[in-house]
Amino acid sequence: MLLAFAFVAAAAAADAASFSKTLYPVLERAQCRACHNPDGVASVTRLHFPEADAPPERVEAFGKALVVLVDRNRPEESLLLRKPTNRIPHAGGEKIKPGSADEAVLKAWIARLASLQGDELAKALKYREEEAAGAGHERPSVVLRRLTHTQYNNTVRDLLGDQTAPASQFPPEDYVNGFKNQYQAQNLSPLLIEAYGNAAERLARNAFRGGDTRGLIPCKPSAACRARFVREFGLKAFRRPLDAAEQKRYESLFAKETDFLKGAQLVVEAMLQSPYFLFRLDETANPQWKPYATASRLSYALWDTMPDATLLEGAARGELATPQGVDKAARRLLDDPRARQALDEFVAQWLRFDRILTAAKDRRRFPQFTRETAVAMTEEARMFVRDLVWNDRNFLELLTGDYAYVNADLAGIYGVPAPAKEFERVPFPPGSERSGLLGQALFLALTAKPDDTSPTARGLFVREQFLCQHVSEPPPGVNTNLPPVTEARPQTNRQRMSEHATNPSCATCHNLIDPIGFGFERFDAIGGRRDTFKLLFFGDREGGNRRAPPKTIELDLDTTGFVAGIPESKFSSPRELGRVLAGSSQCQECIVKQYFRYTAGRLETPADRPVIREVLENFRRSQFRFRELIIVLMRSREFPSGGSSQGVAVHVARDRTAR
Amino acid sequence: MSHVIARRVRLSRRTLLKGLTLAGTPITVGLPPLVSMFNGAGTAYAAEPAAAVRKEAPIESRFVLWFNGNGIPERYWIPSETGPDYRMTPCLSPLAPFRRDIHVLSGLDNAAAAVPGPGNGHHKSMSALMSGTPFTGRGAGGPSIDQAIAQKIGGESRFRSLQIGVSQESFGESIQRNMSWAGYERALPPEMIPHKLFDRLFGEREEGWVNRKRSILDTVREDAKALEKNLPKDDQARVEEHLSGIRDLERSIAGLPPEYRRIDPPEFDGDMKDWPRIAKLQSDLLAHALATRQTRVASYMLTKCQGLSRFPWLGFTAARHHDYTHADGKAPGSDGVEGQRILRDICRWHVEEFAYLLAKLKSIPEGDGTLLDHCCLVYVHEHAEANPHKNHGLAMVVAGHAGRLATGMHSRVTGTVGDLYLTLADEVMGAGLGKFPTATRKLGTLLA
Repeated sequence: MLLAFAFVAAAAAADAASFSKTLYPVLERAQCRACHNPDGVASVTRLHFPEADAPPERVEAFGKALVVLVDRNRPEESLLLRKPTNRIPHAGGEKIKPGSADEAVLKAWIARLASLQGDELAKALKYREEEAAGAGHERPSVVLRRLTHTQYNNTVRDLLGDQTAPASQFPPEDYVNGFKNQYQAQNLSPLLIEAYGNAAERLARNAFRGGDTRGLIPCKPSAACRARFVREFGLKAFRRPLDAAEQKRYESLFAKETDFLKGAQLVVEAMLQSPYFLFRLDETANPQWKPYATASRLSYALWDTMPDATLLEGAARGELATPQGVDKAARRLLDDPRARQALDEFVAQWLRFDRILTAAKDRRRFPQFTRETAVAMTEEARMFVRDLVWNDRNFLELLTGDYAYVNADLAGIYGVPAPAKEFERVPFPPGSERSGLLGQALFLALTAKPDDTSPTARGLFVREQFLCQHVSEPPPGVNTNLPPVTEARPQTNRQRMSEHATNPSCATCHNLIDPIGFGFERFDAIGGRRDTFKLLFFGDREGGNRRAPPKTIELDLDTTGFVAGIPESKFSSPRELGRVLAGSSQCQECIVKQYFRYTAGRLETPADRPVIREVLENFRRSQFRFRELIIVLMRSREFPSGGSSQGVAVHVARDRTAR
Repeated sequence: MSHVIARRVRLSRRTLLKGLTLAGTPITVGLPPLVSMFNGAGTAYAAEPAAAVRKEAPIESRFVLWFNGNGIPERYWIPSETGPDYRMTPCLSPLAPFRRDIHVLSGLDNAAAAVPGPGNGHHKSMSALMSGTPFTGRGAGGPSIDQAIAQKIGGESRFRSLQIGVSQESFGESIQRNMSWAGYERALPPEMIPHKLFDRLFGEREEGWVNRKRSILDTVREDAKALEKNLPKDDQARVEEHLSGIRDLERSIAGLPPEYRRIDPPEFDGDMKDWPRIAKLQSDLLAHALATRQTRVASYMLTKCQGLSRFPWLGFTAARHHDYTHADGKAPGSDGVEGQRILRDICRWHVEEFAYLLAKLKSIPEGDGTLLDHCCLVYVHEHAEANPHKNHGLAMVVAGHAGRLATGMHSRVTGTVGDLYLTLADEVMGAGLGKFPTATRKLGTLLA
């Protein structure tokens, strides 16, 4: 009773001051935003913080919206009070000290919220809905996307019949947001522009070497044929019809050569360096180009190459102007073998195949790890995902599937008999504790160091790739080297890393990642099973004295782990973690987000929330068929309808009313 | 050699390239002494006949920023004595023949790596080391010193600057793979393949190639200009990048003399793991590019930031470059002593390759001295002591005799990397930058 009175009294005081002047700075100081955001480790309990540049009314609305965390009858029991003060366990620890001035401010605001009534309360509750709908946010105005190196290779293959993959020699592309095709990283360095120039020169020369052997010239040489070549080749190279100025420009370039093929070669070389070839317009205001932008968006997303004739004709006939049309086109594209290749590329980047292909393992400890083994690991993962996607299985088997695709190299690692045929599907042996990707050699090896596992790297990979949560880097000035393990002081990784949990500057983040990694400790740095933690000491000569066996010390393993932020997530094997993740909504949402990021070439923004939600709902409804995820994403990116789903008809109806 | 001097023919710079051709000299051997290109006093390039109005220009100074990754073992690198009579350390020993040509520096702070922000490892240090600006999360926060200088003095050359690399093995992304940055998050990747570098500098061109290229680039430029309209700002910048790349291409084409012909490419068996061989080929090509005045500014990246090279020619195959820098487990000997010895030998190899470049520059006569007399080279790494990722007390080597550069000693200095760069840029190179991030003063000890 007394407490309640105190709250009422405080409420009166808080009335005078606004949220942005009272509690907001407290929450920002406590860094709630760092974890409680869509990409943070507490994304489930995201608080929908306003953007840094949000207008003051938005900040106030956010403050009122916190009412959902307030117990109106017993304010002192509110989550908004008990969580940040760690009165009930908070993964982020004690962020606001009980009894502090900050807590007083928090209590005052809670009292204010507990007193909300009627319209004011209804309005406060609306904030979340609006945020979820992306209200007040605009999609980023990114329209130009450079062809990725893979897309460049595929495009010149389809445009010119050239199989030389010239882009493999271009300067490498950066991984940003987890992928190599992200908009921010698509710089054009002088070296790349020179490389484009050299590639164009070579490609154009090869295209007409020994005459028009690839049938690029559609007619007998003449002035009319020159125009026709420019028009038809231009349509394919720019993936849209040329406008009059362009047609003229390229015809006059053509005419600079007297020899017809030389002229055509000149046009090809120039078009391959044009920004209209190197970039594609993901959005365009030009109504003539709009259907073609859709065609390119579909073909580069689903095929990683230029649209084929059918797609370009469909664009010309306006067939891509309706959700049904896009749906139909997407389904046709997915039935083509090119779609397999394009999806392989997504998988290779999402699961970071590059890391295992460039990894080194200590040869003394893991003599069986060779380049071939690394390739086999990626091949297994590729076949595993292919089967899920193209045979319309439940995609969550990605994390729960109790089988693997094994060849002779991998059979040794898994402890199963070598199959008669390379990469045969075999069940994991009972008691193996493996399932899905998390139990496969690829994940276990690419997240390990050369000589041993890294629970931190494994935890990070799970957070970033499967939960779409970002964990900050270590703060500056921290020595990230753990004390070395010696014969005199042998330790398991868990023991050695205990400093991460006790040193406060490490603990905040490491408590979120290390406990995930500990659950994998029964699997060594190349994915083999181990029942004890073996330390090898080789003496102090480089390369070791090969005749003297290393000294071995064996320690018992404790493989219990948990995922902070996911309730009931205790596990002690990859198999158990796979089930935890598959059942968690943020993992399911993350799968959608990863594919969104890959196809959109950027991170999702608040304005994309309706699209992501629509895709996720459909993905769930389809029993997690990845093919449906792809199709709905394609459709709803073209026609963001902000709602359901069930059928195309719904979209059409809404679309009409919207206009 | 001597016959050129005897004849005393006055050659223009253009004739030089042609002369190379006519002699059919493979590019891997030293250039002719070029004496005929200088005036009677031997101090300047003779004016080209075509540019009769131009006064005879003094010999240009050149700037080379030279990098190898992963830091050093300080105890084997930094001399204990300062001044001219310091003892060469094990790591620096390959530079003994060049004692008079180098200035060994220690004590510099990588100031921009010390500001708050995520991470304290190689990537963060690299941005600070090259540009004096904090790591952005993706790259350097501004132009690297070579680019800042190139923007001032590179405009007249065929290439505003060159980026040359050797080893391709590294962790990850742009910040580890590149040392030159044109600006905020704008990496300039190095050319790491000798044949391609050769082709850029001395490649064969067919008759009519220049005109053909020009009309293509004209057409492409029209496309870019049309596209640029109606684009959001971000995308306009991207097209602008394309346009400026095209301008660079045009300039490099326009810089080709009309009688340009093929000279022999480097002899190379294509083993792209033979770093010592590739390093020397790249140094040869760099020396020739500087000698033929194709550029005044270059960066040279021997191994990558946080590099992962293996060193079979040194006998170290159990782990990779970066692994050896951290005593933790991977380098045999858990207390790190053995790791330090290995790192000493690895660093000495890097220094050997730097010494090779100095020897090359010194072997090419220019004016009344050598090419090295007109160069300023700076040799840097992203860390001092490698294991703790140390960002203060950095050790560097400055070499050459351009401008007022003082050489022949080891100096322990108090100052930032920016202070060093600004001193070199403005007092030695005459670039007139006026400022550079983290620079607050000039280092007088570097100037004679």
